[in-house]
Amino acid sequence: MSPFPRCLARSGCAALAASAMALACGSAAAQPASYTLDPRHSFVYFEVLHFGTSTLRGRLGPTEGSVTIDREQRRGEIGVSLHTDSVSTSVPQLDEILRGPKGFNSDPSAVAWFISRDLQFKGDQLQGARGELSLRGTSTLLELTAVRFACRQDDERKREICGGDFVGELRRSDLGMTLALPFVADRVKVIVQVEAIRN
Amino acid sequence: MKALLTTIALATLASAAFAESATYSVDPTHTGVTFEAVHFGTSTLRGRFDKKEGSVEFDRAAKTGKVDITIDTTSIDTGVPALDKHLSSPDFFNAAQNPTAHFVGDKFVFKGDKVSEVVGTLTLMGKTQPVTLKASNFNCYNSPLFKREVCGGDFETTIQRSQWGMSYGVANGLPDNIRLLVQVEAVKQ
Repeated sequence: MSPFPRCLARSGCAALAASAMALACGSAAAQPASYTLDPRHSFVYFEVLHFGTSTLRGRLGPTEGSVTIDREQRRGEIGVSLHTDSVSTSVPQLDEILRGPKGFNSDPSAVAWFISRDLQFKGDQLQGARGELSLRGTSTLLELTAVRFACRQDDERKREICGGDFVGELRRSDLGMTLALPFVADRVKVIVQVEAIRN
Repeated sequence: MKALLTTIALATLASAAFAESATYSVDPTHTGVTFEAVHFGTSTLRGRFDKKEGSVEFDRAAKTGKVDITIDTTSIDTGVPALDKHLSSPDFFNAAQNPTAHFVGDKFVFKGDKVSEVVGTLTLMGKTQPVTLKASNFNCYNSPLFKREVCGGDFETTIQRSQWGMSYGVANGLPDNIRLLVQVEAVKQ
């Protein structure tokens, strides 16, 4: 799978090209900072309602990739991925089913990507990111909203670490994941934990 | 056919009239505890315990119940093996010395016919403290898999881990407040 999947019509290829150029132009004046994800603190969790009764939770990751943020210009870029065969619910039999054809359809090389060049800021605080989630050879728009976002100076590494919690929602059937519908809900809550170390 | 339906209808009426306490066995594939801790005010660290078992007594007519869940603290799983090792160590769970955590909820609070709260105690590292779990979901359904009634829901609470003597790092910015998210489904026996 290409690391840069085709643009979604809804996200607008022209807008992406424009913002990429703006980033290139802006970089001379402002200082965009780039960060590499810390695999110890970068995971994706999902929550889905089982028989309208209780919430089934799972984990994917660690997530790898990089984030560039220009707080002054209030823009940035996210490019992250994870191996979908990492899916883990604490029930090994369920994990096997989730890796199957109606689930993530994972083999050890199957990767999910999230690419965004549409970051929202309030002041210099990152509020969210709108981008394209690709997995199983298909993609959907995913809007992530920050529950919290903060940067700190890490004494041990002598580096800045930025990170937070982000949440979004998707319909798994949009990605072809029809396993156990409708007993297990189509609507999936996506919870992203991320911490990234400044390069 | 008509006779069968009448029998079922009668049986349903009878069970409604003489509803009594039923025992439910916890379905470990849909039961779990997730903990959440905010890491240096930045992002939320999540972990879970992979091994757990328990039972539920539940009487919807009398609006009473009792839940008993045992968690194997050695089965802690955050996705980061080095972190699991640290959390199992005497700094945190001291899992070798205290291999189980035990929750007993013996007061079920109802809102209509749904459980809204479970009041009980959590025993962790040899200490027992009161805990109230609040329901965010509660439902019963007929499981096509088990061919039986399954009741369950989502419950949550926030505890201060220092109350159980787990105080590592609290003075240095690691959180004392830990959010517990409990998923439970139990099959009628």
